[in-house]
Order: sequence, then structure tokens, then C-alpha cells
Amino acid sequence: MKIVTIKTPDQVIIPLQQHDGAVCDSLVSVGDIVSVGQLIGDGEFRIHSSVSGEVTAVSELPHPTGKDVLSVVIKTHDGEKSEIEPVELSTGKIRRIIREAGIVEPNGQPTLRTKGDINTIVVNGTNTWDLSSSEALMLDHPSKIVYGLKALMETVGAKKAFIIIELGSEALHVMRTETIPDSNIKVIATPRYYPPGTENTLAKKFAKKKVPRGSTPEDRGVIVSSIAAMKAIYDALCDGEPMIKKVVTVAGAVGSPRDVLVDIGAPIGHVIKECGGCSGTPVKIIVNGAIPGAAQYSDEVPVIKTTTGILVQTESNIEREPPAPCINCAWCVDECPIGLMPHLLYGYADSAQFDKCAELYIGDCVECGMCAYVCPSKLPLVQIIRYGKHGVAEMEASE
Amino acid sequence: MTYTISPLPHVKSNESVKRVMWGTIAALLPITIAAIYLFGLPALTIILVTVIVAVVTEIVIYKAASQPITIGDGNAVLIGLLLALIMPPSVPIWVPIIGAAFAIAVPKYIFGGTGTLVFHPALVGFAFLLAAWPTLMGTGSTPNLGGFSDLFLETGAGRLVEASPALVLLGGAFVLYKKYVDRRVAFSATILLLLLMPIVGMGSQLPYVLTGGYFLGLIFLAADPVTTPATKRGRLVYGIMLAGLILIQLYFNTYFAGMCFAVLMMNVFSPLIDKNTIPKPIGGK
Ligand code: SF4
Ligand code: SF4
Repeated sequence: MKIVTIKTPDQVIIPLQQHDGAVCDSLVSVGDIVSVGQLIGDGEFRIHSSVSGEVTAVSELPHPTGKDVLSVVIKTHDGEKSEIEPVELSTGKIRRIIREAGIVEPNGQPTLRTKGDINTIVVNGTNTWDLSSSEALMLDHPSKIVYGLKALMETVGAKKAFIIIELGSEALHVMRTETIPDSNIKVIATPRYYPPGTENTLAKKFAKKKVPRGSTPEDRGVIVSSIAAMKAIYDALCDGEPMIKKVVTVAGAVGSPRDVLVDIGAPIGHVIKECGGCSGTPVKIIVNGAIPGAAQYSDEVPVIKTTTGILVQTESNIEREPPAPCINCAWCVDECPIGLMPHLLYGYADSAQFDKCAELYIGDCVECGMCAYVCPSKLPLVQIIRYGKHGVAEMEASE
Repeated sequence: MTYTISPLPHVKSNESVKRVMWGTIAALLPITIAAIYLFGLPALTIILVTVIVAVVTEIVIYKAASQPITIGDGNAVLIGLLLALIMPPSVPIWVPIIGAAFAIAVPKYIFGGTGTLVFHPALVGFAFLLAAWPTLMGTGSTPNLGGFSDLFLETGAGRLVEASPALVLLGGAFVLYKKYVDRRVAFSATILLLLLMPIVGMGSQLPYVLTGGYFLGLIFLAADPVTTPATKRGRLVYGIMLAGLILIQLYFNTYFAGMCFAVLMMNVFSPLIDKNTIPKPIGGK
């Protein structure tokens, strides 16, 4: 087994917002005793307790996205976790089950957004840079993933599905073997492909459906989903387990980097400790990947449903080279998955020409970070583009 | 315990402007050595002096203007080396000295420094020298690809860079692979030129184009990303237009000069092409 299950922490912090959308309502208050799998938050999505224990606080706490979010803090009973009791989920209707199990895609979206016709499902099984949780899941649970995928295909009436895996990944062979009996599921090998989070680019590239700006792949009959969601669908259908655990890649300056199965709400500091702790003095802790991820103020922030990785960096990993002027090499243009002109956005945003930024579609930038990654002048492109977006928003607001 | 916060990305590729420049210089070393081998001491002198003058000029100007000195980035060295390579070995040494000083002072410094310049400095230096002292800039012979051995050692070479087409291509392959020059421009211009020449009845002149000077021009000078458009479509348009302009120039000019003027003319169009080829983001409108 690739994935190592780590110890349940003494206390979990479960944010009531683990998706794109409004914060859920808390169904518990301080002093309540909850059991594992119990529904504790409801709203756009459902949120369940990952442990059995006592609610010690319901308050605004640091969240991996950098803001403070209303969270439920639960002290685990005796540091021990009781067996998961299958949660009562309505049978038959998989659509309902997916909702009731609180399944969230790594990009914060629901797996199923529309009731419209779906033709194709694209499952993104690529690993990027320091993140390998998709590969680990495929190696450990190939049949469960295919089960989840088939269930989803049946529910939405999709005729075909593609599982996208990088060339050279061990999972390629495993998944190909697993899907031999299913002629409508195809495993596709792709060169290292980044960024994975942009559904529209995946829909275009693999399902051959061009998704107009401002719409989602579902509008063109495509669902773009993830390996994690397929496994979560299996867990919900077969084990009655809602989304209360997450496979997370722990990488960088830690004792034993690996993929671990973590209870949602476990502080990242706990996860790092369970992976042998930091080796060297940690300077930066990054959640969700070295390129698009977010640096964290504190190791108290919890693992949530959208967490895919934790990366620890020491001083030697950190780029401190001062930026040089843009040399117009256009590497950023070649890398931008959205087809923007990052160097122009940078120039216009830097000189506060926000009207020009808007003309160059600055709002379409998904902040994947590829432009700044490749830039030989080491320009802080994403930072300035963000500034440009704010500028455009203010400009539009004052019009 | 608090941690460092910074905007993404948290890793960066190990390419830098410095590596791009010095990498390009390294790619030119084989042909530089071949030129010295073929032409001997004059070639060595021209190369050393031109590079040194380019570097010194840059230091002097940037000091006088109290701007940070960026010699370490290799840009002045590269400009000097490129200029030296397109000199004829017979040129009096003061000619490239003036050329190098001019190339750094006018097209590089006055037009805004690395990155924002409009014209390729080495080409401007060359054009200036050609206009001022046409006879001194002339070559004793015009190379043409007569046989297979000419690819490796062109004994009819008129300019330093023409010593060996194969070695220019070797360096070119490296910079194209590393993306230190733009692939779209280099490939579209070269392929189109080679296809069009026979079609427009200039097939017999092809051997004059399969020379070190042309390969240097098409790969290292024309495809220099600073002076080419940034949009993907724009770079293709640029390469296509360049091939057309070279064909026209070949009617009026000598081989090498024609190519240089074609590239300089295209440099003017670069911003215009960019403006008109801004892509729609994925998904279109
Ligand atoms: S971060 Fe850069 S590369 Fe990514 S979408 Fe925005 S502009 Fe394009
Ligand atoms: S990659 Fe950097 S230097 Fe190159 S064009 Fe983009 S912003 Fe400019």
C-alpha cells in the first residue's frame, strides 16, 4: 500500500466552508458530543465530523485559503476514534448520495453541477510536481475508483469516460488493466500536464469540447472530475462513509515524505509530525502544490476536503533572486493555459493601466502560476496580476 | 512558529536572463572557434576587441547615467560577439570598434535597454557600418554551398560566421531546443524561404543561402525574442513576412546585407503584429 493512514489528532478543526460557496450553518454547539460521520454543517454542501468527541468551540479560525472561517473544533475522545458507523444515505439515488456525502472536487466545486445531459466524463488522474495523491489512490484502489466512475457514468447517462494519467506513471498500467472489460472507459496517457485545475482546458483537450468563456464543461455535456471524487463516491456508496478523510501528499523537507490518509480537520502541523516532522528549519509551509499553492501563516490550519498536498520548504528552497526587467521572451505566453498575455498584463497592471488590463482579459487568469514559474526575469507576475484584477474591479465599480 | 508568506509560485524554474544570454554565447562558441581556425589572428583580434569594446561601452554609458551595471547578464558580450561574427576578416579593426560602441550606445541604450529595444543592436551596428564604410565592410568572397565539405568548413567564407554552416546549425539547434530563440520565427522563416526560392525562380541562388551567415541571421538574429512579437500567431506571421522580405531584398542587395535589412525592417513591424494578434482566452468570445 502506498497510502499510509496516520493517527487521529487530539483535536480537529473542521471549517464550515470547504468548497467554493457560502459558509454552511453549524448544526452543533459547544459541549455537544458528536460521533464520527455525524452531520455537523449543512448548506450548499454537507459537512460531517471526522472524529468522535466533544465540540469545544465554534468560531472563526484560520483556513488554508488565508482567511478566517467559521469552524467547529472537536476534541477527540480519549485520543481514540470509534469505528465509522455507516451513515444513513438514501439508497438508489446516487445523485442524492453524492450530495449527502458532501463530496467536493479538489477545485472546490461539486462533482455534479447540473441536471443536464452528460455525454463524457473526464477524470483527471495527473500528478503535478510535488503532488502524487491521485497516483497513490489509483495504485492502492484501482477497482474502487473504476467502481465510482461507473456509478457516476450510469447516474448521468454518460456514454464514455477518460481517465487521464501522465506518461511514465505506474498507475497507467494498473488502470489500463483495471478497465480492460469496460470498452467505454479509456485510459489516456499524456505528457506532464499542468495546471490540472482548469476544467475547461481538460474538457477541450480530452473530450474535444470547446467550452465557451463563462460556462462550465457541463454545458457542453462533459463532467471533469478527479480521482479523489471517484474514490469518495465509492466510499459513500459501498461503505456509507461521507467525505471525512482525504489522501494528502506530504513533501519537501519532512522526515518521510509520502501520501497519507488524513482525517479532515487535522492540523497540518499534526500531519507533518506524523510524517517524521520537519527536517531542518521550516521556513515555508505550502498547501496544494509548489506552483499554485498557498503559503500558510501557521501550521494550525486544518486539512480540508480540497487539500491535496502539504509542502515544507527550508531556506535553501526559497528563491530570493531579485527580478530583472521583462525581456519579452514570451515564455509566459507559451505557458499560459488560458491563452493570456501575462507579460502585458504585468506591464499594464504595474503601471496602473487597468483599462488595458481589462481589454486583455485579466479576469480570465486562473492564477495557476505557470507564467511566474517559467519567467527568466523572475518577475512576480501573479502578484501584480492580482493587483491588476483588484484595480479592474475598482474601476468597474466606480463606473 | 510563524512562516514566510509569499504569493505563488513557491518554486521557479532555474532559467534566468543570465542563463539565456550566456547559454546563447556558449552556443556560438563552436562557430567562433571555427572562424579563428579558418581566418587566424585577424578573426581572433576582431572577436576579442569587439566584445571588449561592447562591454566597456556599456559600463561607461550606464555609469554615466548612474544606472545599475548589468554586464554580468552577458547581453553586451552577446551583442559584441554577434557583431564580430558578421565582420569580414579583412576589416580594419577600428570599424568593429565603432560598430560595437554604436550598437550599445544607440539601439541598446537609447532605445531602452534589454527587453524594450526595438531593433536588434548587432544588426543596427552592422547596418550603420555598412552605410558608412561600404567598401571596408565588403567581403573578399561570397560563400556558397558547393559540396558536402562546405557544410563543415566553408573555404569561400567572406565573414567570420560563414566559416562553418554546420557549426552555426549546431549552436542553433541548442538555442532552439532551450527556447533561447523563438522557434516559430526561426522555423517558419527558414522553411518558407527554402520552399519559396525555387518557386519564384531563385532556386539557383539557394547555395548562397545555405551558409553560416543566413543560419546565424535566421536563428540567432531574426528569432531573438526581444525583437519578435510575443503572441503565438504573431510570431508565425513575423516569420512568414520575414521570408517574403528576404526574397524581395535579394533582388536589390547582396546576400548577407539583404537578410540583415529584411530582419531590421521586420523589427519595426513587431509591435504592430503583436497588437493585431492578441489571442482570445480559451473558450473564445
Ligand atoms: S497565472 Fe499566469 S499562466 Fe496562469 S492563467 Fe494567470 S496569466 Fe496565465
Ligand atoms: S516570461 Fe518573463 S521575461 Fe519573458 S515575456 Fe514573460 S514576463 Fe517577460
